[in-house]
Amino acid sequence: MNIERRRKAENIIALFLSSLAAFSGISWLVFILGDVLIHGIGALKLSLFISDPVPPGVEGGGLRNAFAGQMLITLFATLIGVPFGVLGGTFLAEYARGTRVAAVVSILSDIMVSVPSIVIGTFIYAVLVKPLGHFSGWAGATALAVIMIPVVLRTTEDMLSLVPWTLREAAFALGAPYYKVIIQVVYRAAATGIFTGILLAVARVAGETAPLLFTSFNNAYFSLNMNGPISSLTATIFQYAMGPYDDWHAQAWAASFVITATVLLITIVGRILISWRLK
Amino acid sequence: MAGACPCHSIFLIAERYETLVIQKKNPIDLLFSVITAGASFMVILLVIGIFAILLKESSLSIGKFGFIKFIVTNEWNPVTELFGAAASIYGTMVTTAIALIIAIPIAIGIAVFVTEIATDFLKGPIGAAIELLAAIPSIIYGMWGLFTVAPIMTKYIEPALQKSLGLVPLIGMLFQGTPMGIDLLTASVILSIMIIPFTASISRDAFNLTPAVVKESAYAVGATQWEVVRDVVLPYSKMGVFGGIVLSLGRALGETMAVAFVLGNNHQITSSLFSAAATITVTLANEFTEADKDIYLSSLFHLALVLFMMSFIVLAAAKFLLFKAERKINR
Amino acid sequence: MAEIVDIEAKGLNFYYSGNVHAIKDVNIAAYKKKVTALIGPSGCGKTTLLRCYNRMHDLYPKNRYEGEVIFEGRNILSKDVDIISLRSRIGMVFQKPTPFPMSVFDNIAYGLRLKGIKSRGELSERVEKALRNAAIWDEVFGKLNVSAYELSGGQQQRLCIARALAVEPEIILFDEPTSALDPISTGKIEELIVELKKNVTIIIVTHNMQQAARISDWTGFMMLGELIEFDKTEKIFTAPTEKLTEDYITGRFG
Repeated sequence: MNIERRRKAENIIALFLSSLAAFSGISWLVFILGDVLIHGIGALKLSLFISDPVPPGVEGGGLRNAFAGQMLITLFATLIGVPFGVLGGTFLAEYARGTRVAAVVSILSDIMVSVPSIVIGTFIYAVLVKPLGHFSGWAGATALAVIMIPVVLRTTEDMLSLVPWTLREAAFALGAPYYKVIIQVVYRAAATGIFTGILLAVARVAGETAPLLFTSFNNAYFSLNMNGPISSLTATIFQYAMGPYDDWHAQAWAASFVITATVLLITIVGRILISWRLK
Repeated sequence: MAGACPCHSIFLIAERYETLVIQKKNPIDLLFSVITAGASFMVILLVIGIFAILLKESSLSIGKFGFIKFIVTNEWNPVTELFGAAASIYGTMVTTAIALIIAIPIAIGIAVFVTEIATDFLKGPIGAAIELLAAIPSIIYGMWGLFTVAPIMTKYIEPALQKSLGLVPLIGMLFQGTPMGIDLLTASVILSIMIIPFTASISRDAFNLTPAVVKESAYAVGATQWEVVRDVVLPYSKMGVFGGIVLSLGRALGETMAVAFVLGNNHQITSSLFSAAATITVTLANEFTEADKDIYLSSLFHLALVLFMMSFIVLAAAKFLLFKAERKINR
Repeated sequence: MAEIVDIEAKGLNFYYSGNVHAIKDVNIAAYKKKVTALIGPSGCGKTTLLRCYNRMHDLYPKNRYEGEVIFEGRNILSKDVDIISLRSRIGMVFQKPTPFPMSVFDNIAYGLRLKGIKSRGELSERVEKALRNAAIWDEVFGKLNVSAYELSGGQQQRLCIARALAVEPEIILFDEPTSALDPISTGKIEELIVELKKNVTIIIVTHNMQQAARISDWTGFMMLGELIEFDKTEKIFTAPTEKLTEDYITGRFG
């Protein structure tokens, strides 16, 4: 009987510790989000979005340049990265399904997804910044696109593989060539899933900082010129938070709030879409 | 009734190939397959390209310091133009190791809770919280670390550690010096909070691969919940969990922004966790745009190359383990 | 010889996730050291009924029992029953072999170690006894330290029976134990079940009527969650009272 009591005590302790771990996980989330919210809301003013930075010490100013730059870089990264990702994923799931080539590309993509993003920054610096002699928005967008490609490629592959083979056979049976089957039937069946994959990839690169530090660099002035250095929210947060001025810190918090809210919102929408699709 | 026969799937694959052979005769199909193939080979090109470019850019440094000697030399002096990566690599390894030591037990605890203990009512919110924690950009963790965690570490946690563990011989070595908050320990703590959700969600997926009926048969001999986890679920999913840990290790190795704020970029190897240090990523983030001489820049590329190779090897190992784990389950 | 009731369901109702009524007012007894078979078309509730005996349903939320299952004079469905020790006295063998990810020896010793038996000598002795009783000792005595996954499907299933036997339960529940096995392995398991009833009470769910006829003493026929008829096996298979039972036995449906 004694042994049973010990086993039960052990059980309760283990379950307690595990529950504790879970609730500590949740409390970190509340802690971080609460902190960002409290500090961020205070500095969140309309001027943040519509005026450009002023020299430290001068009242007011905002981060219009960083918002515009961030959107521009993310937009072009998506435009470059998504076609490569979706088409590449199509090859793996359709024409090369079950082949060794598909397996190799798939594994390499998984590895690429986790390659340190700062390494990709140095790579783009060597290819697009050093030869041209200056930082540029294009370099930043390309760096983010390189991060996006494997992510989109793998989700596209997975989502296309979920489409039942019999659906394709039904289309073949009507005499459709494979490319029409893919474009008209398979893509349509997997549309939500692929779209979700793209959303999550955008959310991921929108918060990236390290690969932008030495590609798009930063710019204290408003600029929409993709051929020159361009500001981004994340690079600005890094600069402002490390700087000595309280105004800068407040604006860094506000920018953090905006970026966290955006990324989490996109992520939540993506998750809801996925669970809705898999139902 | 007794599960799909393996020969069935072989049939399916054979049929597929036949269809593919017929379909490729269409010229537009040929074109479309070539375009998609080109897009997917982009990934191979990128991997080879990154390796080749980094190798080329770091050739100056490799020529002057030697690939291996660079790694083991503790010297980072832009003035005398002598560079060695030992301090950065040491910082990378120490922060990664401590982060994993903190993160693994908590992450596994969370995974156990979500898969085995939580009622459906709690499963959703906690699972979602984990996913959201994983989605928060790392720069937010970094900034939160600088403004919120570092002061707490300086004021409460580090003095407390110093007064308790700091007096223990040998271990005490780790807790010497004035607690400043900008140091190895704070960086490791923030790194660990960042990788917890990642490790937890992979472990949860691995746990979920344990067939319900095997768990039931352990309950059927009278095992408690904890005994089922310890004796059935963990052994069953150990490959998957281990693969997940290695994947988290890869994450921690390459993380830049979560540690850049609170590490201080100090190229010294010290035994105390209370001193500022550098990691490969932090060195790159702080010095890349300041490198004014060719050999300086080349040495930074050399660092990036070392990091790329380290993470590539770790991630490939993780892939291999996870692959083996899946195959074992499917058998 | 008089039949002694070992475990008995009285007015048992069972609901999945709140409202799916899976067992409807079932009254059935299982007699000591006899084999009781539960038969019926798929989805009739026979496995659900079986899983009430060791309260397997408690693992999942929102399941609900009503009525009683009496074992040794106590209602095992009541809240204060210690499920852990109940399960070590009422063993279970599943549809598919479910070896744990450990060696053959550790699989069998698992339940014993849970009970706190540590001495290597006693463990070896009881593991051997269980393996002998499950008629698998001759096949595995040289492989006690290899992983249980190395055994064939039929051997794995007998291993699971040995695992259930090792803790010396009074009752063993079998849930279609041969549905994943070939005819030769099935034959061996059936012989084993007949052998086992010298010592334990057996309740077996099977979709195979010949199997029920071959090995059981008592048979219950279920349909749509209700127990249609319960009687001696010869009676059920030769002269059933109910029309539904007759239709099922003669293969007119199901």
